[in-house]
Amino acid sequence: MSDHNISEHDFDKFAEFFYRKTGIKFEPSKRYFVDKRLTERMRETGSDSFRHYFTTLRFQASGEELQRLTNLLTVNETYFMREDYQFRCLIDSMLPDVISRHDPRKPIRIWCIPSSSGEEPYSIAMYLLEEWEGINDWDVELIASDIDTQILATAQKGIYSERSIRNVPASWKRRYFKSVPGGHQVSEDIRDAVEFTRINLSEPADVRSMRNIDIIFCRNLLIYFDDKSRKVAAEYMYEAMSPGGYICLGHTESMGRISPLYRVKKFPAAIVYQRPLEAK
Amino acid sequence: MKHILIVDDASTVRMYHRNILEAAGYTVDEAVNGIEALEKALTGKFDLYIVDINMPKMDGYEFLQQLRREPMHQAPAVMVSTEAAELDHTKAYFSGANLYMVKPIKPLQMMTYVRLLMGEESA
Amino acid sequence: MALKKSRKKNTTQSQNEKRDCNQIRNELLSDDASSRRWAARDIVNCPGATHMLLDQLNNEEEPSVRQVILSSLTQLGDSEAVEGLVNCLRSEDASLRNEAIEAMKQLPEEVAPIMATLLNDPDPDVRIFAVNILESLCHDDVEQWLVSVIRDDEHVNVCATAVDLLGEVGSEISIEALTGLKDRFTEEPYIQFAADLAMKRISGD
Repeated sequence: MSDHNISEHDFDKFAEFFYRKTGIKFEPSKRYFVDKRLTERMRETGSDSFRHYFTTLRFQASGEELQRLTNLLTVNETYFMREDYQFRCLIDSMLPDVISRHDPRKPIRIWCIPSSSGEEPYSIAMYLLEEWEGINDWDVELIASDIDTQILATAQKGIYSERSIRNVPASWKRRYFKSVPGGHQVSEDIRDAVEFTRINLSEPADVRSMRNIDIIFCRNLLIYFDDKSRKVAAEYMYEAMSPGGYICLGHTESMGRISPLYRVKKFPAAIVYQRPLEAK
Repeated sequence: MKHILIVDDASTVRMYHRNILEAAGYTVDEAVNGIEALEKALTGKFDLYIVDINMPKMDGYEFLQQLRREPMHQAPAVMVSTEAAELDHTKAYFSGANLYMVKPIKPLQMMTYVRLLMGEESA
Repeated sequence: MALKKSRKKNTTQSQNEKRDCNQIRNELLSDDASSRRWAARDIVNCPGATHMLLDQLNNEEEPSVRQVILSSLTQLGDSEAVEGLVNCLRSEDASLRNEAIEAMKQLPEEVAPIMATLLNDPDPDVRIFAVNILESLCHDDVEQWLVSVIRDDEHVNVCATAVDLLGEVGSEISIEALTGLKDRFTEEPYIQFAADLAMKRISGD
């Protein structure tokens, strides 16, 4: 007989474990939300008790179950202008700092990984054109990578639902979108400005080709990796970056669960991580 | 109300310290390692830090060294560790700690030093 | 100026990939940190890699290279790598110690055979680190190991570390030892607190 009951102490144990692994803290007030998803996974994995399920979660070599559960416990809907305080930080703080020591003959390089269906790189492109005065003086290369070639094709087409563009300011919508069958398509010049490439962040040969990146947006990706692969991925990104370059993670993610390589940098709009300038 | 950051990778230790400090009327926040502590320290305002030495990703020494480079974040710090070696004392003070204590800490002992470091009168 | 695509792909790396093991070994000693990092990654397919990496780990001062060396040692994960990591536990360098603990947590099967030895090390700090490593070990004996620590280890902080973990992995069989621990350290409020918490979590009420 199975017992899918989750006691208060079970919840505490789970909450501490999940916090240690992901940096996401569930307070007791979130119990209903968490319990519901835990029970669902217990049922689907055929676990006969919380204890049994918790053991799977902690020790499964592939880390697959933890990944599944993390997926359920984090809302991962992608849309235009999502977590745009980081784009604000890009314009107000990161770019001014980067150009202060950048060779003016060379382009600024910004890398989005994962590209996903394109909302993030296109949002950044629009931000740069609309909000950054420096765009008149600097070339910017915007690279968006994903492991999934199908999603890259979707991104290149650039057609989105009304819901996905709900946070785009009206004037930007007029300038950068046109109505097409099936939704709203990003204008051709924006689509052309982004270079989409297939990259597996766990594959050395793939990552080796990335060089001289000034700013990386790596949001809501590493949280789904196991400890070993996320550390290695952070090391590859370090290699891809110029010294003094910045990396932005998702708002629930912290480099504190990933790697000690980067320096914590606080700007008015956001906390980001920097490859130390003086590091070799 | 005074605000204290507890930095320790062991959840039981964080709970224990939290109980003592909250009972004395302080508010408390927690971090599991030096990087998370830096994120919290830089975005919040703390009157005291209680910092373990051995932690994953970033240890207590490194945390204090980086924190002390920030002119706005010079609140006193107590470093706590399982190690009683003379070398660790020296390293702790060198990193920017104001006091070094060896675990486990007794509640009375903790409260005496916490009050002292924050310039409050000892009970 | 404007948004634009990069015109050319980087072509230099194809040469790099063809380096032979002798070149890689030399680059592990290069003056350039980036070359050392790539060498530390690429060396894993060369004979004698573990030995070279451990040698370099002891001399390496650049933290970013050390991180990559530790990742590669974790990937290799042979008994020589584990032995090298155990030596790091005795280092004066706190970050190296903690990095070694993290690497060993990734190697549960390789570490399990030496766990009993580590838990009986004369240095209490090494015993504490061993308990830290137990956290990620999926092994039938984990709870039994923790029980013997809290029953027999004389050092209060070794016991304290073990109790923290028992609260997460312990079952009914730990209760007696937890009660015994409270009796052994009646003067330590922390042990009383931690043992009570662990017992509450185990019995689930």
